[in-house]
Amino acid sequence: MATKGSNSIHRSSSRPLLDLSKAEIQGNVEEKYPTILLPNQSDDLSHLALDIGGSLIKLVYFSRHEDQSTNDKRMKILKDKLGILNGNRRSYPILGGRLHFVKFETNKINECLEFIYSKKLHCGGWESHHSDSTNDQNAVIKATGGGAFKFADLFKERLGISLDKEDEMDCLVAGANFLLKAIRHEAYTHMEGQKEFIQIDPNDLFPYLLVNIGSGVSMIKVDGNGKFERVSGTNVGGGTYWGLGRLLTNCSSFDELLELSQKGDNRTTDMLVGDIYGTDYPKIGLSASTIASSFGKATLENKELEEYRPEDISLSLLRMISYNIGQISYLNALRFGLKRIFFGGFFIRGHAYTMDAISFAVHFWSKGTAQAMFLRHEGFLGALGAFMSYEKHGLDDLMVHQFVERFPMGAPYTGGKIHGPPLRNLNEKASLENISWMEKFLQKGTEITAPVPMTPPGTTGLGGFEVPLSKGSTLRSDASALNVGVLHLIPTLEVFPLLVDPKMYEPNTVDLSDHSELEYWLTILSEHLPDLVDKAVASEGGTDDSKRRGDAFARAFSAHLARLMEEPAAYGKLGLANLLEMREECLREFQFVDAYRSIKQRENEASLAVLHDLLMELDSLDEETRLLTLIEGVLAANIFDWGSRACVDLYHKGTIIEIYRMSRNKMQRPWRVDDFDAFKERMLGSGDKKPLPHGRALLFVDNSGADIVLGMLPLARELLRRGTEVVLVGNSLPALNDVTAMELPDIVAEAAKHCDILRRAAESGGLLVDAMTNTLDGSKEKLPSVALMVVENGCGSPCIDFRQVSSELAAAAKDADLIILEGMGRSLHTNLYAQFKCDALKLAMVKNQRLAEKLVQGNIYDCVCKYEPAY
Amino acid sequence: MDPRRAETGKNSDQIQSGHVYHLALDIGGSLAKLVYFTKNDEHIVGSEKKKSPMKASGISNSSRNSPVLNGRLNFKKFETSKINDCLEFINSMKLHLGGCQQPESPGSQTITIKATGGGAYKYADLFKEKFRISLDKEDEMDCLVAGANFLLETIHQEAFTYMGNQKQFVWIDKNDLYPYLLVNIGSGVGMIKVEGDGKFERVSGTSIGGGTFWGLGKLLTKCKSFDELLDLSYRGNNRAVDMLVGDIYGGMDYSKIGLSSTTIASSFGRAISENKERDDYKPEDIARSLLRMISNNIGQISYLTALRFGLKRIFFGGFFIRRHPFTMDTLSVAVNFWSKGEAKAMFLQHEGFLGAVGAFMSSDKHGLKELLANQKVERPPSKLSFSLDQTQVPQQDGELNGDESIECSVYGA
Repeated sequence: MATKGSNSIHRSSSRPLLDLSKAEIQGNVEEKYPTILLPNQSDDLSHLALDIGGSLIKLVYFSRHEDQSTNDKRMKILKDKLGILNGNRRSYPILGGRLHFVKFETNKINECLEFIYSKKLHCGGWESHHSDSTNDQNAVIKATGGGAFKFADLFKERLGISLDKEDEMDCLVAGANFLLKAIRHEAYTHMEGQKEFIQIDPNDLFPYLLVNIGSGVSMIKVDGNGKFERVSGTNVGGGTYWGLGRLLTNCSSFDELLELSQKGDNRTTDMLVGDIYGTDYPKIGLSASTIASSFGKATLENKELEEYRPEDISLSLLRMISYNIGQISYLNALRFGLKRIFFGGFFIRGHAYTMDAISFAVHFWSKGTAQAMFLRHEGFLGALGAFMSYEKHGLDDLMVHQFVERFPMGAPYTGGKIHGPPLRNLNEKASLENISWMEKFLQKGTEITAPVPMTPPGTTGLGGFEVPLSKGSTLRSDASALNVGVLHLIPTLEVFPLLVDPKMYEPNTVDLSDHSELEYWLTILSEHLPDLVDKAVASEGGTDDSKRRGDAFARAFSAHLARLMEEPAAYGKLGLANLLEMREECLREFQFVDAYRSIKQRENEASLAVLHDLLMELDSLDEETRLLTLIEGVLAANIFDWGSRACVDLYHKGTIIEIYRMSRNKMQRPWRVDDFDAFKERMLGSGDKKPLPHGRALLFVDNSGADIVLGMLPLARELLRRGTEVVLVGNSLPALNDVTAMELPDIVAEAAKHCDILRRAAESGGLLVDAMTNTLDGSKEKLPSVALMVVENGCGSPCIDFRQVSSELAAAAKDADLIILEGMGRSLHTNLYAQFKCDALKLAMVKNQRLAEKLVQGNIYDCVCKYEPAY
Repeated sequence: MDPRRAETGKNSDQIQSGHVYHLALDIGGSLAKLVYFTKNDEHIVGSEKKKSPMKASGISNSSRNSPVLNGRLNFKKFETSKINDCLEFINSMKLHLGGCQQPESPGSQTITIKATGGGAYKYADLFKEKFRISLDKEDEMDCLVAGANFLLETIHQEAFTYMGNQKQFVWIDKNDLYPYLLVNIGSGVGMIKVEGDGKFERVSGTSIGGGTFWGLGKLLTKCKSFDELLDLSYRGNNRAVDMLVGDIYGGMDYSKIGLSSTTIASSFGRAISENKERDDYKPEDIARSLLRMISNNIGQISYLTALRFGLKRIFFGGFFIRRHPFTMDTLSVAVNFWSKGEAKAMFLQHEGFLGAVGAFMSSDKHGLKELLANQKVERPPSKLSFSLDQTQVPQQDGELNGDESIECSVYGA
């Protein structure tokens, strides 16, 4: 099957060679076709913004990637049929691309400069690979933070760029507003070590209180974009913690001090209510362990400073300051009638104890009516805001459904971690262009890869006035710092228009914030890994290079899983669909374009060989039996799923046809979920009443081979025969053995050789323009026929999130009145409970015992045929 | 010349000579406070007919068969860590002989006195064992509020403001007193919304209080006493350890948000310098910075709390203040700053003794309030016997050291 250039992933032939940022899909496409220039030259530099703080430098930079719009003939016909106008329906261009988040330590500013230089961010990123940088002397980069003043000369001298200083608070607010609008689950609460992600309606965001805890604390009332006021603050902040901490302990760094607090017991330094009363003071609701006076115990004892444990002092300090900030914040929110309080700034740094303490204080003082919230991209607010201060960045116009966050393994090297540079030996390389982070990854692999631990994560403490339950000694202080991924901006993504209530829609049926679920699925993925690596390596002929990459992939994905066990919230809100997609993304990151390529091909061929016989058999049946047989066929063929461990075992026992036969024979109605009669009623009616056929059906297809060829295609054919237009919806990028939109036209063309109905419909839908030019002219007279079309769904995952689909799918959905979701990924893992504005049929065989029990109270190999008329 | 003025010693002659009636105790985490009444021999009101305010106001005195005594209400404090001194003192007053509770009973009998504060529980056994004194525990907050209400309602010059070294007494109409916020700064800080006699609620508080000042100060400066630390702070300069707005913005005001360059951006924010150790900082500067940090914070939270509940006045009390000018000044500045001049911090002459006075008031045997109310009807306010007899001559640090007294009348037993 020939792959079309625009959607394929290029890989350098000799060895994996990627530069830092481009370790994701289509990375090298950018370098191969660097001819695209931004229409407006002044835009060239809107690629980088800086926030130079006292301890960290934060970079946000944008890399553009080529517009995906394919220009083949299929697309042209699609555009005519579906009315898609140039891919997106906007009068102004929005750049697709990626936002990268990178941190450096300020005292290692040279690494930051090198990084900017090596990526040519100072002269407009990749566009200027071909241009001389002679004009770049006047380049201006937006920057904020105190260091924007301090290091201005250094940047000028070393990189020839001027820093355009933006007001810190402006940037902070702009950054927060952007994140809260653009990222669905940006905010989270943190109580007793547990993070919970909160979805905030962007239309109900304002007014809120933004509490920025740096050296001091600023409290900002935000009423809208650019509308804010510093209403309060306190001088007891991060600087107080670190300053007093330094004087009281011998810690040499802020992080060390924080680390100490985790092993502390503040009872030795704080005066508790119990110390005064010997008991609770219930009259005013204070328990004996309530802190009555921070450091008050030190007044009662004649002990020298050295006799106190630094751990205890650190904890006492941390609580004192955190509680105080929480209290004052709450009082201010109350004063101004603000619904939400978001905390950010370097004092928090994802430190679980700090967040717990602040949360506790807000909870305590508000008597549970208010919650402290934190932001996943907390450290990057200023840098993002500086980025937003460019006049033309286009980000303002983007909506939440146009952002996709990915977590490439390269991200820990380029961002998300506060520990040092992206690459340790950045300066040692002669040619910075040629650094491959993957090389580094392979070298460092053993360091960062841990076996997937199967124990629940330790709680990080009560965070109350109470004494912490867990001393947290096993936790790294940055363990709860959340990973920051690369933010993909995909302007063509849209919300699926047939969702009944997009706001309430939640694709995942399995929520991995439940620890036992997480553990189960991580185990499943972990066990499946060797087989996947085998397939991936084999798909590339088992070369040494592919073996190396296979090894690296296995390590990388294991590291992701280990990270998730350590901190389930590391990657934000995570459903099973996200986890499965992460695996696919990880494969792509290691340049495995299509791990199941050869398997898919083999199975397609085998199935196509028997298609003719199947169609003959079907045609001999009466209408009612045929419909049942077709649905049975879909369910039976859905057994071919390389994502299911049980099915992989089956593969090893028999041939495809044998399995299919066995599966067919198991089709005993009633199925576990059986709405077939209702569906049949809608299709065939009862008695004399013949219902109108559907106008257009969207068929979301699943696996290659028998599943598509012997299951879904015959069903599509039946719909076509009844006068219903059919749109086959395939994946944009490969995922397991799922059939992709790119492969579908060839499969349809092959099937059309056996079937006139399919052929005419495919011609009408523009699928055969290449293959059958000869017959096209001849058949023109015989038309019209209803069309069979193919669209891509915008995903590279075995599941589908209907909040983010391709614009062509959204366009195709406009006239659709029936959708059929097939397979576990799209109708069980996700969307089992989704409600649509049109008739919807969800078909799947459950190939996992746990899922069968959880979702349908059944067993493995049970079938689901769920039909819901339009809501 | 008041002889008591000079008598701050533990075993003053005054106590020996006067007769001690009614005593109440407030034993806090750091200090134990005493309030007791001494009768002046020359002021014994022998015959109730002539001078009794009760009679004049027409209130039946049938339930009271006791004589009305004129004398003084005395205030005294001890460090809680030296509780034995306090016990000795009480013992030396010969309460059992003075006839406070049961004048006619023999010394072997257990004496009951009103007490409040956490120590009333903690040291109850000690009092009992050593001197057969049984502490009748009164709720701390009840006492605090009762004490404040009593003082604010009855003492002419009880409340005052303090800004820029200017002390100004505020006359408060007792009919316009409520609701107010009472901020009691002890080891920790309690904030109480007071709506009337016995009508109050602890609405907020903070653990950053006097104990924090003294505790952290002790660890950082090796000071031996709270007072020493306070003295130090008076001489210090917080610029050495605090990060000011000017430090961040290069000496410029950050006028956009209304902060001047001398505003503290981060308390102790400058103490993070890598090449300076603790000993490189002057203890005076550290003490000053600590005091400002804590006062500022209390002032801010108090103002926000008053605002929240719509309270007109904020009174600060508790041992942390001790009429230390700098503390009061910082609190006043904080309230002024955060309220943009709308609110003023107020202080009480007897801040440290609210609890003890309240405990004293909790017994109605002495009829102090009753007598006072009647006195007020009878006499013009200017001649209220309840004015402080101690002249307002602040010592260098404004500290009155807690040993003082006020003239008043009570019922004898």
